[in-house]
Amino acid sequence: MKKRILAAVLTAVMAMGALTGCGSTGSKDNYTIGIMQYAVHGSLDNCREGFLQGLAEEGIVEGENLTIEYVNAQADNGTSAMTASNFVSKKVDMICAIATPCAMAAYNATMNTDIPVIYTAVSDPVEAGLANEDGTPVGNITGTSDALAVDAQLKMIREVLPEAKTIGIIYTTSEANSISTIAEYKALAGNYGFEIVDSGVTAMSEVALAAADVASKVDCITNLTDNTVVSALQTVLDEANKAGIPVFGSEVEQVKAGCVASMGLEYIELGKQTGKMAAKVLKGEAKASELNFEVISEPSLYVNFAAAEKIGLELPENYKTDAYQSFDEIVVQ
Amino acid sequence: MALLLSVLEQGMIYGILALGVYITYKILDFPDLTVDGSFPFGAAITVRLINGFGVPAILTLPIAFLGGALVGICTGLIHVKLKVRDLLSGIIMMTGLYTINLWVAGSGYVAIFDKENIFNNSFVNSITPGFLVNFKNVIIIFLITMVAKYLLDWYMSTKSGFLLRAVGDNDTIVTSLGVDKGLVKIVGLSIANGLVSLSGCIYAQQQRSFEISIGTGAVVIGLASVIIGTSLFKKVTFFRVTSSVVVGSILYKACVAVAMFAGISPNAIKLITAVLFLIILVISMDRKKVKAC
Repeated sequence: MKKRILAAVLTAVMAMGALTGCGSTGSKDNYTIGIMQYAVHGSLDNCREGFLQGLAEEGIVEGENLTIEYVNAQADNGTSAMTASNFVSKKVDMICAIATPCAMAAYNATMNTDIPVIYTAVSDPVEAGLANEDGTPVGNITGTSDALAVDAQLKMIREVLPEAKTIGIIYTTSEANSISTIAEYKALAGNYGFEIVDSGVTAMSEVALAAADVASKVDCITNLTDNTVVSALQTVLDEANKAGIPVFGSEVEQVKAGCVASMGLEYIELGKQTGKMAAKVLKGEAKASELNFEVISEPSLYVNFAAAEKIGLELPENYKTDAYQSFDEIVVQ
Repeated sequence: MALLLSVLEQGMIYGILALGVYITYKILDFPDLTVDGSFPFGAAITVRLINGFGVPAILTLPIAFLGGALVGICTGLIHVKLKVRDLLSGIIMMTGLYTINLWVAGSGYVAIFDKENIFNNSFVNSITPGFLVNFKNVIIIFLITMVAKYLLDWYMSTKSGFLLRAVGDNDTIVTSLGVDKGLVKIVGLSIANGLVSLSGCIYAQQQRSFEISIGTGAVVIGLASVIIGTSLFKKVTFFRVTSSVVVGSILYKACVAVAMFAGISPNAIKLITAVLFLIILVISMDRKKVKAC
């Protein structure tokens, strides 16, 4: 009888030991991050890739001490909300939200928990209600913004086209990012002697019409990070080529696909920067609620010589050497 | 647990939308696409009221309902008075509402994270005991859904409600009773879109944000819920049809959650949801056959 009791006690102690053992390894040496990405989109995919690279550089490597749960919300808000709740119920160590709607859903779901949220590819965290005017977070949430370097872009356009007077911009009326960026363009265009002609669309099917209309009125077109217009980039390029005017991109993928040049973001770099912030939070060096959101300080120059040649545009000599990355062919994906 | 709560919350919110779709699709026999516009319309009104005017959250519910009802009246007038076909009048309203929604909300994204809402205000917080904090949302949504359901049940038992049902089944009877069937249709559409807008209102407060594209596919979710609910519970007598519609909506959301939770490739979620939806439909059809034999 005594032996039995002893055995039972021993078993219980061992089981407890095993359990606590598991517990300690689970919380210290192995992290789980839930990544929720809003849509299937080249730039957003690059963000995710960069995010993992940034974490890896800080010694948090997927498959070794990091488990990733990845959900793509398929551009559906209901799915975003449910994904966020799912991550909360699985008690992940952190949620990484890629693009504004995901960041908002993740913040909403984690509000009453202590799970930190790191976002990226949010153009205007203040407008989205994720940060205060001074850049401090509104809660246990921080990340990186992909706000465009409007001033640098205008300066570059002036260098390429010394004679140009008007710049056309096509945007989607529903995208808050685009509307705030256009306001910035209009405010700064005067400094470089430009006038902005904008045209709003509500769906991808209207892009062709708007592009043809804008192309007939302006000296060049510049793109935003507008999801709808970027998805219809080839349509915009076709219309601009017909009119013989150049199109400037807002990030590297667009230049690769046929825009002449861009002072833009490298989403992999943006993702890396985000990954490093995430590593700080995971290691306990800082709290998400104490970190201000970050932007990429120095935009880089991307040039596509094949696209310039196609419309007979001569790019400044120094672009060959100064470009961060240049392309000699148009890669249509 | 959080996922289960999320399914219940979203399921019941969309359940109110499904009640609206049930009125038009099943009772009036009117395929009303206005829903894709009136759902975000309710959300847009709500964020504008809370953000711009600081209106107490509880008042957004009746105002959003009335706003939606107005939209429904417009659809009805276009259909009845201008003699535009049913499907088209819905499409016209849905298209026009896109602009109106942007205008009402102020932009494509509006966040109301830091504002009081029906789930989070001093009154609700003061009466919620500590152990119920996590269930606060689901309880409030349940209460609102039940009120909406019982009001609709009550309305259906009034004279006006009977006329509504008659228009869908056999409109000659309504005319022979000396009642203008066009007017009855307009009333039906206004109640339906009022409910849809109410559902948008709650959705915006649960998500604490508005996004212009939330309406996309709303009518599909509504139709799916109505069909799942009415076909699964066809033979169940202790359930009113309105209840089965709400349960149908919860089941629809559960399908999405199951697909997500099973860890299937995220890109396949929509396909899995469609397959689960099909399975539910087929199962319910089998039951019907068995009963018929």
